[in-house]
Amino acid sequence: MHKSFLILLCLIFPVTLLAQETPMNQAEIAAFKSMVEATSKATSTIKSDFVQYKHLDFLDNDIETSGKLAFKAPGWVKWEYTTPYQYSVIFKDDQMLINDGGTKSSVDIGSSKLFKKLNELIVNSVKGTLFKDEDFKISYLKTTNMNKAIFKPYDKKIANYIASFELVFDRDDGGVIEVKMIEPSGDFTKIIFKNRTLNSSLSDAVFTN
Amino acid sequence: MRFLLISFLSIATLSSCALKTTEGLRIAPLTTTAIVNPYFANEATDYVYKAKIEVYGRYFGGILIVKKLSKNIHRVVFTTEFGSKVFDFLYEGDTFTLNFIVEDLNKKILVNTLRQDFKLLISENSKVSEQFVSDSHSVYKSEGGKRDAYYFFNSVENRLERIINASKRKEKFEIVFYSEAKEIAQQITIQHHNIKLFIDLDYIKND
Repeated sequence: MHKSFLILLCLIFPVTLLAQETPMNQAEIAAFKSMVEATSKATSTIKSDFVQYKHLDFLDNDIETSGKLAFKAPGWVKWEYTTPYQYSVIFKDDQMLINDGGTKSSVDIGSSKLFKKLNELIVNSVKGTLFKDEDFKISYLKTTNMNKAIFKPYDKKIANYIASFELVFDRDDGGVIEVKMIEPSGDFTKIIFKNRTLNSSLSDAVFTN
Repeated sequence: MRFLLISFLSIATLSSCALKTTEGLRIAPLTTTAIVNPYFANEATDYVYKAKIEVYGRYFGGILIVKKLSKNIHRVVFTTEFGSKVFDFLYEGDTFTLNFIVEDLNKKILVNTLRQDFKLLISENSKVSEQFVSDSHSVYKSEGGKRDAYYFFNSVENRLERIINASKRKEKFEIVFYSEAKEIAQQITIQHHNIKLFIDLDYIKND
């Protein structure tokens, strides 16, 4: 009886129940930032599964892809899709190494400002350390079990591609649990991290193509 | 006598036409006025494909999304694997709208090529002006100004296998469909003959 009443409530007031987001005050922002920074500093490796949802307003269903993420300090990232296709990108030093179902290619990031920015964005969002970035206007929100930072780009060129960028953090350990990129059209990409393991051993060989 | 006449006419027609597409085909009487491309015709389906593109030796991957919004209206969107949009096309009958394209790719010649490729890919109904036949295929020619399209249906299952876009003399590009079910193409390739552009599409079920 109680359960069905709760379900009914959830159905009627989903927004109020799920998203009681309130802005953080200055002290909370400072505490939140220092927690994320401490977590990031103490993190030498991250292994995680992820599910990505691409939302396009004209589709009946979001496009769901999933895979694995590997991070090794200070800035190596491997982003690997395993379902429904095999595709991986390794960000390593000034190189972006791509393996598209067996077809391998590489891009020299050093020569491209845009790729450098993209690489920084990916590394910093995995680590959660985007707050020093002067390219974004940042707002901070909280709910009972998570913190959220919303980034809006100042640069008009970037704003043509990304209207805003949201990182959701676990309130207890300061790790990133969700990334959402919203386009000017309102379409978005949402990535949810699961089974996150910190500081386990991670061979350099993982980051080779 | 009648057979001889037809044979003679066929030889005369085919030999005066330098186009490779109709070589070895026999002219047949028209049995239909229009053909149907069934592969992007269902409004209830999200058509999502993993795409691999090779252009002048450079390689790109991404996701191609096609949706039929209503009769004669299709959206064609290309994104990276990470989900960011590369281009967004809208086809409403013969009207084309470029909703979005990333700055680096916003070149007239590229947009026109892609626009033309995907227009042929999604076009559902085409008027037939000529019909040919081979041992394995029925071939329907649809005229379209400077360029014509030749639709190859296999004779056994009447399944659309190939569309060739050609000028009066030369093949420009061709689309090949590999399908198990009649309504969904599991794999599609688009091969250009006059420029170095090859697109490979593999179907991803999306429901």
